[in-house]
Amino acid sequence: MLGKGLKFFGTACLMGLLLAAVPALADDVIKIAVPSPYTGSAAGFGENVKAGVTLKVEEINAAGGIGGKKVEAVYLDEQCEPREAATVSTKIANDKAIVGIVGHLCSSAHLAALPTYVREGIAAISPTATSVTITDKNKDAKGNVWSFRNVYRDDFQGKFLAQYVDKVMGLKKIAVFYENNDYGIGLKDAFVKEAKTLGLTIVGEEAYMKGAQDFNPQLTKMKGGAPEALFIAGYYPEGALIVDQAKKIGLDVPKFGADGFDNADYIKLAGDAADGLYLTAPFLAETAGPDAKKFIETFKARFGRDVDWMSANAYDATGMLADAIAKVGADRAKIRDYLAGINTADKGYKGITGVNYFDQNGDCLKPAYVKTVKGNAFVPAPKQMD
Amino acid sequence: MLEQQLVNGLTLGLIYALIAVGYTMVYGVIELINFAHGEVYMFGAFLCMTFLTVFGAPLIVAVLLSMACCALMGVLLDVVAYRPLRNAPRLAALITAIGMSIFLQNLAMIIWGSRPLPFVKEALPAFFKVTALSFGDVNISWMQMTIYIVAISLMILLNVIITKTRTGTAMRALAQNRVCASLMGINVNRVIAFTFALGSGLGAMAGIMVSMFYNTMYPTMGYNAGVKAFAAAVLGGIGSVPGAMFGGVVLGIAETLGAGYVSSPYRDGVAYAIMILVIILRPSGLLGRAVTEKA
Repeated sequence: MLGKGLKFFGTACLMGLLLAAVPALADDVIKIAVPSPYTGSAAGFGENVKAGVTLKVEEINAAGGIGGKKVEAVYLDEQCEPREAATVSTKIANDKAIVGIVGHLCSSAHLAALPTYVREGIAAISPTATSVTITDKNKDAKGNVWSFRNVYRDDFQGKFLAQYVDKVMGLKKIAVFYENNDYGIGLKDAFVKEAKTLGLTIVGEEAYMKGAQDFNPQLTKMKGGAPEALFIAGYYPEGALIVDQAKKIGLDVPKFGADGFDNADYIKLAGDAADGLYLTAPFLAETAGPDAKKFIETFKARFGRDVDWMSANAYDATGMLADAIAKVGADRAKIRDYLAGINTADKGYKGITGVNYFDQNGDCLKPAYVKTVKGNAFVPAPKQMD
Repeated sequence: MLEQQLVNGLTLGLIYALIAVGYTMVYGVIELINFAHGEVYMFGAFLCMTFLTVFGAPLIVAVLLSMACCALMGVLLDVVAYRPLRNAPRLAALITAIGMSIFLQNLAMIIWGSRPLPFVKEALPAFFKVTALSFGDVNISWMQMTIYIVAISLMILLNVIITKTRTGTAMRALAQNRVCASLMGINVNRVIAFTFALGSGLGAMAGIMVSMFYNTMYPTMGYNAGVKAFAAAVLGGIGSVPGAMFGGVVLGIAETLGAGYVSSPYRDGVAYAIMILVIILRPSGLLGRAVTEKA
């Protein structure tokens, strides 16, 4: 009995070893790392990024891969936690088969992982991390940028929204809600700073933690200041609850948010309070070209839901990385040099989210579009800002 | 504004109380802090939604079914994770509890996905949206009234079960001395299973009402609620059922007033600061009796 068990155990071990050895032996794949939250409270966003990357990788492989080699995306879960991201980043840097990174999703996680990427010399393109601080921390001693992003920064979005509220909507008294993390605070600071320059009145600044469900105390307090609009610097799961609870206590004013709101689930969660939200997004399906239209259809057929900007950006970030590998080969340093060289619109990567290129800090220069929710659907805002 | 904040705080507090009684009863009987209790609460919400959408059950049926399933889940939790460790050091059971909590969270994520889901709006009666009472600026919706009525009647029912029934008497006997109780012919495992079932059922009801009230549910929602309810149980005096109810309400109101008048980023801080103060000044909790540690 024991002998039999041992034999079985031995065979199992051998098989495990063999299975583990297969990817290591096969050097006909090119690996890219996609570190994002796949479990935990931000897992929903990680799914969006994964969907975008999956579509691009499948497309590349269906067309024969890069130089005859298949592309393999390695999904590493960091739960949007800085601590986990630091661990994952070391793992990525140590795996020499990985040549480039699409990620991280959250700014906090990206900031925690960044020192490893800079030190070890591997380039990352984040499709979603918008924190301003990344700009100051993504260069090595020689001034080489290792972290790029094809999404605009929080200060740009916050400033843009303040101007939109003032110039296009003509609203003057604003209440501000923000999530207490890098994203929310960055967005709020930029908004409030610009609002004050424009002469708007801020009637209350209230913070909340990720995963909070009850906003009645803060809303009740804000209602006393009679705001004309509500600015919510955060993500859609909490945002949907805020607008719903605001409506219930009779605070039915226009709401403003940023790209964290751009998700079809917002409407499902907020229900009949969803209407009247304005938000900035780096991707507007209605103004997108034929490639994007095709992407939107494929996405819907494959995942059974509407596309969101995170998936679109992740799709393009993967495309850019694949382009770099195709041009200069699977070499970490050369890939970085190539990406840093995409610094004008002419040299830019023409993706579904428009032309992607980077400035000397690895930040992108993309326009922001304004969308609104009307009749339970996202539509382009009647007036865009130039 | 103060009156409205009190109404908000009471809603939150009664929900904490419903979860907290589950913690406190289990602690009272086997001295285990069941950290997976928050996950049972989360499953309550998801199961109710599933019964409504997949099986098209009427609301009342879905709620009762979900409560029953969660009661069963509580019993299973005890049988699988805690019973084998009944005579092991308390730390072992505590670690298993945390393990179960993580396991259940991930199980929910596999079953229902990680995106937040709305409650089934069509299943809710239309009057839930209407204001029930309004005095000047203060509004109480029918949804809030329902939470008050359901929570309070369930807690009255629980008190009746604990004080008037034979099983309730057995529970109290077990809380006093497990060995003695078993010598008196009480089936210890059965009474413990009953305690888990009772607490889990109430936790499920809390989860369902929260997801109705806020129109959202997500797999990690149990963690926060669980920690808060645990704090409420400690505040009221862990092991004491009326204490857990009282602690829940105090915590809910303190948190709401803290967010409304002190500073919103510190809302949880305010709640916990009160808990710490109570523990320092009155280690047995607000309603707990100072008893000597059992042998």
